[in-house]
Amino acid sequence: MKNKIITFTFLIFLLSMLVLNIIVPDKNLSESERRKLEEFPLLTSETLFNREFFNKFEKYELDHMIFRDKFRSVKAITEFSVFNKHDNNHIFIKNGYVFKMEYPYNQNYVYDMSKKMNEIYDTYLNGMNVYYSIIPDKNYFIKDNDKHLFINYDDMISILNDEVKDMEYINIFDCLSLDDYYKTDIHWKQENLGKVISDIGEKMHFSNDFNDNVFEKKVFSPFYGSYYGQAALPVKPDVLTYLTNDSIENAIVDNYEYTGDDRSSQKVYAIDRFGSIDSYNVFLSGATPFIEIENPKNNSGKELIIFRDSYASSLAPLLLSEYSKITLIDLRYVSFKMLDELVDFENQDVLFLFNTMVVNNSNILK
Amino acid sequence: MKVSLHKAPVSLYRGTEIMVFSSITFLYFFLPVVLVLYFITPNKYRNYILLPASLFFYFCGEPKYTLLLIISIIINYFHGILIEKHRGTKIAEYVLVSSIVFNLLLLGIFKYLNFLISNISHMFNVDIEFAKIALPIGISFYTFQAMSYVIDVYRGEVKAQKKLLNLALYISLFPQLIAGPIVRYKTIDSELNDRSYSFDDFAYGVKRFVVGLAKKVLLANSLGELWKFAMYTEQPSVLFYWLGAIGFTLQIYFDFSAYSDMAIGLGRIFGFHFLENFNYPYISKSITEFWRRWHISLGTWFRDYLYIPLGGNKTTKSKWLRNIFIVWFCTGFWHGADWNFILWGIGFGVILAAEKLFLLNFLEKIPSLFSHVYTLVIIIFSFVVFNSSNITDAAQYMKGMLGLLYIPVFSKEALYYLDSYKVLIILAIICSTPIPLLIAKKTSKDNKPLSAILEPIIYVVLLIVITGFLIDSSFNPFLYFRF
Repeated sequence: MKNKIITFTFLIFLLSMLVLNIIVPDKNLSESERRKLEEFPLLTSETLFNREFFNKFEKYELDHMIFRDKFRSVKAITEFSVFNKHDNNHIFIKNGYVFKMEYPYNQNYVYDMSKKMNEIYDTYLNGMNVYYSIIPDKNYFIKDNDKHLFINYDDMISILNDEVKDMEYINIFDCLSLDDYYKTDIHWKQENLGKVISDIGEKMHFSNDFNDNVFEKKVFSPFYGSYYGQAALPVKPDVLTYLTNDSIENAIVDNYEYTGDDRSSQKVYAIDRFGSIDSYNVFLSGATPFIEIENPKNNSGKELIIFRDSYASSLAPLLLSEYSKITLIDLRYVSFKMLDELVDFENQDVLFLFNTMVVNNSNILK
Repeated sequence: MKVSLHKAPVSLYRGTEIMVFSSITFLYFFLPVVLVLYFITPNKYRNYILLPASLFFYFCGEPKYTLLLIISIIINYFHGILIEKHRGTKIAEYVLVSSIVFNLLLLGIFKYLNFLISNISHMFNVDIEFAKIALPIGISFYTFQAMSYVIDVYRGEVKAQKKLLNLALYISLFPQLIAGPIVRYKTIDSELNDRSYSFDDFAYGVKRFVVGLAKKVLLANSLGELWKFAMYTEQPSVLFYWLGAIGFTLQIYFDFSAYSDMAIGLGRIFGFHFLENFNYPYISKSITEFWRRWHISLGTWFRDYLYIPLGGNKTTKSKWLRNIFIVWFCTGFWHGADWNFILWGIGFGVILAAEKLFLLNFLEKIPSLFSHVYTLVIIIFSFVVFNSSNITDAAQYMKGMLGLLYIPVFSKEALYYLDSYKVLIILAIICSTPIPLLIAKKTSKDNKPLSAILEPIIYVVLLIVITGFLIDSSFNPFLYFRF
């Protein structure tokens, strides 16, 4: 009797999976993994004989497997609860926060980062007011009492302080704590950046103190951050709060990622990005190599250039009141050697603002 | 001096992305379709389902070399027929030699030519340009299987298979085609024509298959990561080197024995009874015992078709040592076309000779624990040689294990991975012994009604967990697919 049950259970399970995988329609995107899913491969004699069809078919099936996210959760639960592993694909959860282990520490890339910053200074920024600041990733705040692997933050900052010339370092490590970051995303929370702006403002001589009362808070919930899908575990989503005011609402945005009418209709906050594959893209419409934000309400002529990564997307709007224009340059998408075609480097304030993960992997900068 | 043998625009060397048992395509498309087609077909026509299914399985991974497999089958078929027709004559002898030459030539060209040419290049300082030949998956297995068939026909141990379809099925049967076990024709001769089926056999097959899948996906794949971490760390330490070596030692066992489990399980589902290929080799107390328990089908193949024909141990001492050297050179070389495999094989030959001469007596007298440790240490070091890119890397790795490089004993990273993988390592060690099977058998016997409900659930849960791992991980083929 037992063997009959085993036989039929096995057959029913296999056949059910086969049928469900065939009849359930394919999706184009994975929201949990924030990427496009494989399409059904092209079947030709060439793709058949060079194995391309079968290779891609497996990838296609992996991507469109019925209950895919639930299966990934099963794997994550097994790794943590049965095998007692400390991470699952370098992801781990602690006190409701999802972390991704940033390891190993690439000291050579930190030196490369310093060289690149110096090269940019020597090429474009000679004689200008230049500052740099490094944003700690979330792991920094748990490194002292945690069994996971971490990069050497002290060594990173020490190298930068020793190697980077002609720029003033602004330490914002002490302004931040784990609470200032999203639980399910790598980024910091815009509404918690008051101390950061104050410390930056002190060094960069802002006239106004940051006061979040001059902003209107708007909320989007639930916000499933970049780590939510990677964790593949039930984690409470975040609430995304963004701060706005007249200056921000009326800012003129020129986002070089777009063309034509799309380009001229961009806003600081791309509200239509809420609920998309990455809701954090609400800040300046996400990744873009080059973006200029003009503040018509500021006639001082003071300008700021930020060499940045995605963290600055949520910081820059809060600095808008200080400047007539803020230019954000993302060296992950544009080579610094092309910048003279885009920017006249004259007497702007300049801020290099990168998070520790980018510094640790500075080979991604062009 | 440049000597151009053949100019080709593209190197045909490629990775190992093929349909394997531990793939979604196989589990949830190929297998259920084949099972349905097979079992709705009347018994006498089932080979007409299984053979195309097997060839299609091979085609998915090796579309260009499927023809080579078919040619090999046909040529070996005619060799068998000719030997039987001319049994007892010189012609039969010549046909046998022809078959062996053909099969070894096949292997030589597709598996060893690259190695030969690159060594000639190196030895004579000549830059020889040639199109690297991709290794057809499973060629080491199916040529050995075909050779054993023809030799057994010559020896009169089996009758030549008259039906080409049946011989083709024997050689290309998908459960064992690409990673063994090397099935002897006499093992399944009668089953090629006439197979019986039962729920007992089907369920046994399911259990072996699912357990094999679990060993491969849950244990082997994860343990294999330890070697990678150890190889690529920027904080090498003695501990890390040992962790990597032990990880690989466990990985290769679970990977390869898993494949045999799955092959045996699938074979049983379709009515075939294959012999066991692994018998808990890591509980061995000597290397002699280890090789009786590890990759049994290969060991017995070399014993029956090389060692014994050379005279085995029933000859002078010098010839016996020569025989050992030849067999273990071939065993190593069979595993891979590179010097580290040859060294691996010859190393075992030396140890086996030493055990035969004096060491076994000594091992039998000392407490079992010491002989276990002796065996395991040799196995672990041997697999370092096996898994290294070359002999230099192997030597470097072993120096690291012995603390002969200027590295610390521990590192933070090594301790992290030891802590993170400790449950998996302990579980793997236990599963490499007969303990889990004994517990399962006893539990099943003592709790029959409960076991009738629990066992099916356990296997479905295992399948779900396995599927979760497959979906979450990147593609990860079996290690033995370089053969």
